[in-house]
Amino acid sequence: MKKERSALTFRRGDAVAIAGVILFALALMGYYLFFFSAGEASVARIYQEGQVVRELRLDRDVEFVLEGDFRNVVTVQDGKIAITESDCPGADCVHSGWISRPGRSIVCLPNRVEIRLEGGELTDDDVDAVVQ
Amino acid sequence: MRTKRLTTMAILTALALALSWVERMIPLELIIPLPGVKLGLANTVTLFALYQLNLPSALLILIARCLLTALFSGNMTGLAFSLTGGILSMLVMTLARHSRHLSVYGVSVLGAAGHNCGQILIAMILMHSTYIWGYLPYLLLIGTACGVATGAVSSGVLRALGGGKHHYA
Repeated sequence: MKKERSALTFRRGDAVAIAGVILFALALMGYYLFFFSAGEASVARIYQEGQVVRELRLDRDVEFVLEGDFRNVVTVQDGKIAITESDCPGADCVHSGWISRPGRSIVCLPNRVEIRLEGGELTDDDVDAVVQ
Repeated sequence: MRTKRLTTMAILTALALALSWVERMIPLELIIPLPGVKLGLANTVTLFALYQLNLPSALLILIARCLLTALFSGNMTGLAFSLTGGILSMLVMTLARHSRHLSVYGVSVLGAAGHNCGQILIAMILMHSTYIWGYLPYLLLIGTACGVATGAVSSGVLRALGGGKHHYA
């Protein structure tokens, strides 16, 4: 009974576990930001099911629809990109808002879509290498 | 299976379903716009089952909850996420529970972290994208905060309802 109770009050070990998870998260974040967001974002690559379905430059305003299990409206405006409309459940992708910095991405899990901002040039030859 | 245990498990499954539903009314994704962010209230039920029943019961409740949620919402992608996250989370919590240094708070936080890792893992598989792990740190930070909250709730619930062990079995 006494042992059971003590398992319910906050202990020092809990603080260590919390600190551990937070440190791990910060380390991952640092690693990701350092290695994956260098340079200028010049190209937005749109992946569906892991395949590049479209590449576009952010300096040209455009709006189009991505069909899949659901329907995402993708908008490029003033060097930023967003999913502005979606009929997927939750519409987290729309809530993600506008992105413009390299390394950032917008994900629509229900539609299996990822929009990723990357550096580099717009080249079709590059596509196969990116897809692996 | 004894009738009492069966009834307890059925009630806990229903409670977990109700909590998942209530949770959807809290628009956490408006404050933190990341896919898969949620409070994890239903984890209170999992914790309760782990502490008061046993691992097989807790696992059965979890699977029943995931299947029924998917059935009600019609979201089969969601099923893959909740099952992978839930099972990984349960694995971590079962191990963490045996540490004498951790209370239900620590177990809950580590369980949330396990859930987040499971979510990212399944996202990487479903989307054939390894880049998705860039979301993991953000999920972990939010998950830790939510884990402390669910830990506090579980602590309160177990304090109030948890008499001797196997009281509900």
